[in-house]
Amino acid sequence: MKEIILDIKGISKSFYRKEALNNVSMSVYKGEVFGLLGPNGAGKTTLIRIINRIIRQDEGSVRLGGNLMTDDDVRKIGYLPEERGLYRNMTVYEHLMFLGRLKGLSKSDVNQKIDYWLDYFKINDWRKKRIEELSKGMAQKIQFIATVLHEPGLLILDEPFSGFDPVNVELIKSTLIDMKNQGRTIMLSTHNMKSVEEICDRAALIHNARKVAEGSISELREERKSGIYAVRFRGNMIAFVNALWAGFEIDDKQELGDDRFVVTVKMRNDNTFEDLLRVLLGQVKIEAAWEVLPGMQDVFIDLVQPKNESHEA
Amino acid sequence: MKHSLLIAVREWKERVRSGSFLLLSVLGPLVILGLIYLLFAFGGNSKQHWKVLIADPANIMETKILAHPDPNVEYAFADGYIELDEFRDGKRYQEYDALLEVNEKVLSNKLAFVFYRHQPDVRMQTRIQFEYERRLEEIMVKQFTDLSIADFRKIKQPMNVVFRDVYDPHDEASDLRGWVGLVFGALIFAFIFLFGMTILRSVNREKSNRIVEVVLSSVSSRELMLGKLLGIGMAAFIQFMIWVIIITTGLYLMREFVFMDMFDASNLNVQQLAIEASDKSYQESFLAAKEYNRFVELIYERIQFGNMIGFFLLFFVTGYFFYGALFAGLGATMGSESDGQQFVLPLIAVLCFSLYSGYYYMNYPESTMSTVFHYLPFTSPVVVMVKLAQGYAPGHSYEIYLSLITLIVSTFIMLGIASRLYKNGILQFGHRLKLRHLLKWLRNT
Repeated sequence: MKEIILDIKGISKSFYRKEALNNVSMSVYKGEVFGLLGPNGAGKTTLIRIINRIIRQDEGSVRLGGNLMTDDDVRKIGYLPEERGLYRNMTVYEHLMFLGRLKGLSKSDVNQKIDYWLDYFKINDWRKKRIEELSKGMAQKIQFIATVLHEPGLLILDEPFSGFDPVNVELIKSTLIDMKNQGRTIMLSTHNMKSVEEICDRAALIHNARKVAEGSISELREERKSGIYAVRFRGNMIAFVNALWAGFEIDDKQELGDDRFVVTVKMRNDNTFEDLLRVLLGQVKIEAAWEVLPGMQDVFIDLVQPKNESHEA
Repeated sequence: MKHSLLIAVREWKERVRSGSFLLLSVLGPLVILGLIYLLFAFGGNSKQHWKVLIADPANIMETKILAHPDPNVEYAFADGYIELDEFRDGKRYQEYDALLEVNEKVLSNKLAFVFYRHQPDVRMQTRIQFEYERRLEEIMVKQFTDLSIADFRKIKQPMNVVFRDVYDPHDEASDLRGWVGLVFGALIFAFIFLFGMTILRSVNREKSNRIVEVVLSSVSSRELMLGKLLGIGMAAFIQFMIWVIIITTGLYLMREFVFMDMFDASNLNVQQLAIEASDKSYQESFLAAKEYNRFVELIYERIQFGNMIGFFLLFFVTGYFFYGALFAGLGATMGSESDGQQFVLPLIAVLCFSLYSGYYYMNYPESTMSTVFHYLPFTSPVVVMVKLAQGYAPGHSYEIYLSLITLIVSTFIMLGIASRLYKNGILQFGHRLKLRHLLKWLRNT
């Protein structure tokens, strides 16, 4: 059985009359990358701030490693806020030293870690640069280093990829995957659903201050599948259409060239994938066939804006 | 507390490294020394020597003015009337600094004009007026009375009315000492205001560039605020010490090398002093000349700097934390950097009110308001300095400790209020600050 490292139970928080979180519970397992998803203003940042004890919840509890969180536990977390800043007059080294020391590291430890991370990102020559001399992307890297410098067991990253170019997004992603492989737990809040699919094991979605879904990425996608299958074949498109009878409906088609097509088909009545393959056999040359699962983008939209709602809009 | 120290050291380094800190640390005391120098140089024994031409066509003064020559003023008499243009442009008159016109009816209209090329200072004006007046007195006494001039002068002796405190009959606690206290109080407020604004801007900057959330994920808002107050306070204290060292050294050097005459009796013009002292009616100008010496004496001899600096530091440190907490709390409530501008005017008003309270105390030391100002934490750092410079009445020295305790207790209350504002306001962005926000954040624990 997986060990729960972060256990959030019944968290509620209101700012005067505005409800920011309502009875939100979720569990994050040790060594996983957990996506915290939700539209703007859903309450994600409030929840993250509560976990980091920057603000206090009205109700509910947060347990870290099985114990109720204390102020000292915050040092076990590496937190990268969405809207982050740096002290512009300080040098890169001074800044990292200051934040590392605040996290309880000794001077020599911080020095060692700074050397490691500056080498890792190949930015050793930035050491004496003032923060104000850095570009936005460069500053983002320093912020990332400051977050992981004290080797926290749990990383909470709010939009960690914003501000990075695609090359650096990939670099940060691979760094996060390395960390996960080392046994660290990562909680990721992002609107980049492609990244969620790529690196998250599980996710929870908050909408209008409430948690509306939680589970593994594959579970979340499975739950929202709508009986659509894709078939890649070589042959005549008319023959393909003719082969289908009233039990199937073509959802989309894509011509690959050289009489090759990919067609997505919706099942009607009680027809199954096997029925579909059966009617097509002999009519076209099937190269591949698979069930189409919705992407996290679709899952997100489906949860936040149900279909009837979107039609009304 | 360890976190607060780390934050304090960072804040301190940031202040101390900035160019403006170094500039103000050196320039500030040099400007003050410069002002003191000007006060000494131009308030002291003037080396000015004036040549005055007296135009007395009716020969009323009989070409006489002084029995003993005045080393500072040399008089000459002109034959007949001199046109103003002639005096102004004529080559033969260029050596004269002023023309004293004695009109024919001077004995009845008591009016005379002195036309100068460069405006004489007040002491020179007093000197010329005094010497001219004395000569006319002699003439009038001779012409209109049967008295001898000596008898007339006995009658004419000026009446000095001196106001003294019954508890301080030797005038040890003079107004001048009160002024020195006020200057000390003003210095406290200048530093508090200067570094208070630094706190306000620093909190606001951290808030607007969002570093505050990163820091708050490692330390509590209370620790952050306390660290900031400590760090900026250390910078203020260091700057203050630099001021004290430079000003003290400067005053010492002035005393030893620049203004030796003022402090060494052997350098006085004994002959002139004897003439002046023997003449009782010379008192007015003599007293005026002594004014600045009282100031010199005050600076070097009469103020108990040891005692004052001890309490100055206590009130400076406590007052700094009192106001600094207020500034930090307000800084955290701002929605944008421009909100800071709104606070400048009311904060300057508080500053002016505090300085005025010191001035008010000097004028009405026994009033109820003065007692209130003495204990009110917003004003006590200034008022106590004034009262301390003047001296507490015997048996009343407990008042200073009572005022200090009141300030310390108020500082803790202010720290509590400010940390509540800080905690609730520091992560609120983009709002237009209104009073209801402050009230909400104060209520919210």
